[in-house]
Amino acid sequence: MARILAVDDSAAMRQMVGITLTGAGHDVQQAADGAEALEIAERQKFDLVITDVNMPKMDGITLVRELRNRASYRYVPLLVLTTEATLERKQQGKAAGATGWLVKPFNPERLLATIAKVLG
Amino acid sequence: MPSSARPFTGASELAGLAPVAQDASQLPPALPGFESFQRFWDRDNGCWMVKILPGEYYVSRSEEAISTVLGSCISACVRDPTRGIGGMNHFMLPQDATQGPNDWLDPAIGLATRYGSYAMENLINDLLKLGAVRERLEIKLFGGGRILAAMTDVGGRNIEFIRNYMTLEGYRVAAEDLGGTQPRKVVYFPASGRARLRKLRPVENRIISHHEQLYLDSLGKQAAGGEVELFD
Repeated sequence: MARILAVDDSAAMRQMVGITLTGAGHDVQQAADGAEALEIAERQKFDLVITDVNMPKMDGITLVRELRNRASYRYVPLLVLTTEATLERKQQGKAAGATGWLVKPFNPERLLATIAKVLG
Repeated sequence: MPSSARPFTGASELAGLAPVAQDASQLPPALPGFESFQRFWDRDNGCWMVKILPGEYYVSRSEEAISTVLGSCISACVRDPTRGIGGMNHFMLPQDATQGPNDWLDPAIGLATRYGSYAMENLINDLLKLGAVRERLEIKLFGGGRILAAMTDVGGRNIEFIRNYMTLEGYRVAAEDLGGTQPRKVVYFPASGRARLRKLRPVENRIISHHEQLYLDSLGKQAAGGEVELFD
């Protein structure tokens, strides 16, 4: 079981990711944008963060960069789950410090397998 | 040709503009990512028009129209009135129950809901990226007809999805025309938010249904999920 922070501005997406992760026994917290996620992540420690890219207030790439700049998240897996599939966006994510990039439509099994892999 | 003999060409004439033939040099610029859509001058509406097919969506900030024909599929017409940008999608839910262990019709997480949410998010994300504000979005919904007397009411399921989605996301429906037994032709003007709707004769059902089936067949693999890449 891992403590996971799931970030997406879409309530439908948060629900789908939440059900998938809790169903697999993980402890899930949710945030609706990057700014809210950063605030939560600073108060509490998570084993993994999964974030959307396009969100109000703070986008997912900025969130990844901000988290990587904090000592407590330097080695925490940060996954991106987005509709963005271009090489350019992926490279921005990689440069910001993302661990992996998952393209929507959302696939529960693939997400769980990826999480298992990066958590080792 | 004397002006009295000119054929009526729609809105441009009503607006007092000369009904001159429009050439491609007058096409409003297409937004990045939408350059491949073919646009044509629509005489009935006196404007440039783009037709979208099942599975496609189109976004514009110009005075042009987006048109599509719906059987059991759904189109969401979405715009930010303040920003003057809007777009339309055209989607239906995949029906392959073999894709994944979750019940594909589970309203919260089944394959159908996952793909429907994806279709909506694609359109809405593009609008947000162009400066639209989520709270301002004006959404009109069309389609979901029961156009063939099949065992399952595909259109009804599509309607159920979009209603759940709208509620969950906290969106208000500005206008809708959903259900029924006739196919529809929708013409949407993103600049003004106006939508023109025409019910088609059931005789066209078979053709529309055939096109929707082709789309469904191509959907299976795509709906199952996008790729995963782990960085070094």
